[in-house]
Amino acid sequence: MIDSKISLTTNKLVVGYSTPIVKGVDLNIQQGKVTVLIGSNGCGKSTLLKCIARVLSPMSGEVRLNQKSIHQQPAKQVAKKLALLPQGPIAPEGLTVKELVAQGRFPHQGFLRQWSVEDEAAVNEAMQQANITELADKMITDLSGGQRQRCWIAMVLAQQTDIILLDEPTTYLDLKVQVDLLELLSKLAHQHQRTLVLVLHELNLAASYADHLIMMKEGKVYAQGSPLNVFNSENLAAVFGLDAKVMLDPDSTALVCIPNKPFNDKGKP
Amino acid sequence: MTRQQWLSSTGLLIMIIVLVMALILHLSIGTKVISTNELIQSFYAYNDENFNHLIIQELRLPRALIAASVGACLATAGALMQGVTRNPLADPGLLGMMTGGALAVVYWSSFVNDASLIWLPVVAAAGALFSAIIVWLIASRAAGGMTTLSLILSGSAFTAFSGALLAIHHLLDQQTFEEMRTWLVGSLTASHIETLYWCLPWIILGLIGSIILAPSVTALAMGEEVAIGLGINTVKRKWQLLICVVILTSAAIALAGPLGFIGLVIPHVVRFIVGADYRWIIPYSILLGSIYLLVIDSLARWIIQPQELATGLITVLIGAPLFVWLVKVRVR
Amino acid sequence: MLIIRLYKQHISFKLNILAVAFTGILLLLLISILLLSLINGTYQLSLQDALLSLFSQKQLISDPQASLIIWDFRLPRSLVAILSGALFAISGAILQNMTRNPLSDPSLVGISQGAALAVVVLTILFPEYIDDWREISAFLGAILIASLIQLLRGKGRPLKFILLGIGVAAFISAIISTLLTYGNLQSAMTALSWLAGSVHNSNWHDVSILGVACLILTFAGIYQARVMSVISLGDEVTIGLGINLRKTMVIQLSISVAAAAIATSVVGPLGFIGLLAPHLARKLTHSGPANHLLLTALTGAILVLIADLIGRTLFAPTQLAAGLVTSLVGAPLFAYLLIKKQT
Repeated sequence: MIDSKISLTTNKLVVGYSTPIVKGVDLNIQQGKVTVLIGSNGCGKSTLLKCIARVLSPMSGEVRLNQKSIHQQPAKQVAKKLALLPQGPIAPEGLTVKELVAQGRFPHQGFLRQWSVEDEAAVNEAMQQANITELADKMITDLSGGQRQRCWIAMVLAQQTDIILLDEPTTYLDLKVQVDLLELLSKLAHQHQRTLVLVLHELNLAASYADHLIMMKEGKVYAQGSPLNVFNSENLAAVFGLDAKVMLDPDSTALVCIPNKPFNDKGKP
Repeated sequence: MTRQQWLSSTGLLIMIIVLVMALILHLSIGTKVISTNELIQSFYAYNDENFNHLIIQELRLPRALIAASVGACLATAGALMQGVTRNPLADPGLLGMMTGGALAVVYWSSFVNDASLIWLPVVAAAGALFSAIIVWLIASRAAGGMTTLSLILSGSAFTAFSGALLAIHHLLDQQTFEEMRTWLVGSLTASHIETLYWCLPWIILGLIGSIILAPSVTALAMGEEVAIGLGINTVKRKWQLLICVVILTSAAIALAGPLGFIGLVIPHVVRFIVGADYRWIIPYSILLGSIYLLVIDSLARWIIQPQELATGLITVLIGAPLFVWLVKVRVR
Repeated sequence: MLIIRLYKQHISFKLNILAVAFTGILLLLLISILLLSLINGTYQLSLQDALLSLFSQKQLISDPQASLIIWDFRLPRSLVAILSGALFAISGAILQNMTRNPLSDPSLVGISQGAALAVVVLTILFPEYIDDWREISAFLGAILIASLIQLLRGKGRPLKFILLGIGVAAFISAIISTLLTYGNLQSAMTALSWLAGSVHNSNWHDVSILGVACLILTFAGIYQARVMSVISLGDEVTIGLGINLRKTMVIQLSISVAAAAIATSVVGPLGFIGLLAPHLARKLTHSGPANHLLLTALTGAILVLIADLIGRTLFAPTQLAAGLVTSLVGAPLFAYLLIKKQT
């Protein structure tokens, strides 16, 4: 099912709406890893993700999937290799969980071939992985935010692609739900060899779940590497203008950043 | 006096001068063009044997006065609505009040035997108030509460409904249709000066009310919370404003039928000139509304003379593109 | 749930049995209302005579008028009502799905008005061409206005599409009023009766045009149904699932505009059918996208047929245009939907 050799790279990529927002980015996304994009608002991380997902076209440069420009390949073929979960997707009314997940099978279906055995198996497996099997016949609109997000993740899983792009999948969710979702995603990467690219807002979660961390600033990659190498106070200060100290949590060996409280007169006795 | 206030007051003075000029234009233009000299003469040395004097005093002056009042009413009503609903697209016509008032008038004149002019404004007001409340209720209960979209959609649903009722009424009662047809497109041809006498007290009441309430509209336009924070009883004030809007709109309907988009167009132009302060927006709207309708009505009488175009058609033909432009610019 | 898999799964479908059953029920309902509308009217016929003349058993008919009334008047009229209802419904369903707004309707967003304007211009300014060019000009007018609105909207949200449509519709209505008020009186009267949305002048020529359009567009709609359900998930998801968004939008807008324009060209702008039919069909039962489209088409057909039946019997001998009836019933239902839609 999962192709063992797949590559996703960007080459001097420039993207924007009328003016460039992403200004020349070269990336090589690593297989079977969780890659996380972070950066302050407007740094171009979501724009970059959208361009990789073909929602936007590059102004110059290219995104290459298996050494070929992704924007030149047939849309349906690409959709069998690369899936996108956009930020805040719309949950239409009157759709059950199973029907939503089944939408992920679209690139594998045709007008006459609408519901094969493979389709059914993929949908069931996806729901199992996302842990929503028992919700199958519920209406999407009746679910909580966290459950809904799991359904969407199941939908992109049913697409059975090697690469999954997720744009801020944890925004507006409770911390516990965020952690659950990221556990699910990291399991997908490490146990099922899916390649995940995420945009995240929450720095501490990004640092603890990323295998590869990309820090963006003003449309360019400021630093990238394993969190241990790049997640430090110097980079945080440079990328976010945030004065913080970075510490290692002794139990989980994850990095955490703690903003330095700007002590002023009021705080002091 | 600040520079801003000084500018705005000077502007107001200029507006009054323009209004007088528009009035003169309206009076002299027509099938027969009458010179300004003779026009002024007819006021201080009226000679009932001079045919031109007769035309001006008996035909054109009443119509000009009606046009000016209707314009002022609709523009003010529109300004108030846009402020209170915080909706740049609000307009008495779009919100169903026009057809509601028109429907009431049509039913009144065909079902009541001695339908006298005295009650016309009251009937129109009742119809407009009824429609306003219905549209308001539907919109405020819609998904996501009162939004630009829900207000306009419920307005257009109501308009479609009362439009169908009107059409059915016409089919069943050809005679009223004949009498009402010009009035229904929004025309000043058939307006009688007597109607203006009956409407004038209402108009004055509505306009004075709007000027008095204007400062709180500025606060309401900044948001309900802000207005409450400034110590305004918003519920009470909204009702007062709604009553003003209804009075003004229905007076306009009674006088000229449903004239679309004036309430939408004028306040936007005014805001462009004086900014967001309703203490200035209201008086400017009154003046500019009068000027606008005088000019439009002069156009209506001039374009295809000796015939004349219904004024309501021109206001829509000018107003609708502006509405489209506003949607394009103002709606995200 | 019924799953069909044939020819080594080259053909495989999943069908909701309940939805299929409802399709059958609606079809039966449509046929019974059709019979009802064949026998009812100013001249009452017996059911027996109606059936006999339908199946051309002339020698057995007791009423000599029956065959004429049915074949020349009531049958074409009823068929036009059914077919135009189906077309409006399909147009609305696609439009609602595409704009992701449950309150879109071809008559609300300027498409019907575009068609109406073209036909009124033709009727009043070039009356000699009206018979040959009515459908085509309606279609062109609708396309023109729909593309104008699309162009104005730019990359704005669906909300913009609707608001712009309302503005453009008001503008066009004013032009139409101008033409009606100042055009030749007789042409104006023709245009006016067409504008009320009426099926009473229908003939077999109309039936054949609508029939062909209905067949082609229903099939096109069903073919697009899978894509439609993906589109309802949002632009980005749609692209992510490998659909060429722009191409699909053009195709679906064309289907929707064509359906509304052809139906409008024959029966005039019939309000609210495109809005209500998809909602009512959804209320009936939960179904897949293709089946939902069929249910919607049937619902639309039934609605217009009933509207016409009511319109010509309620105030007989005065005939109310079906469009007036649909507006009277449709507007309150629309308001109800506006209130009800809590999402």
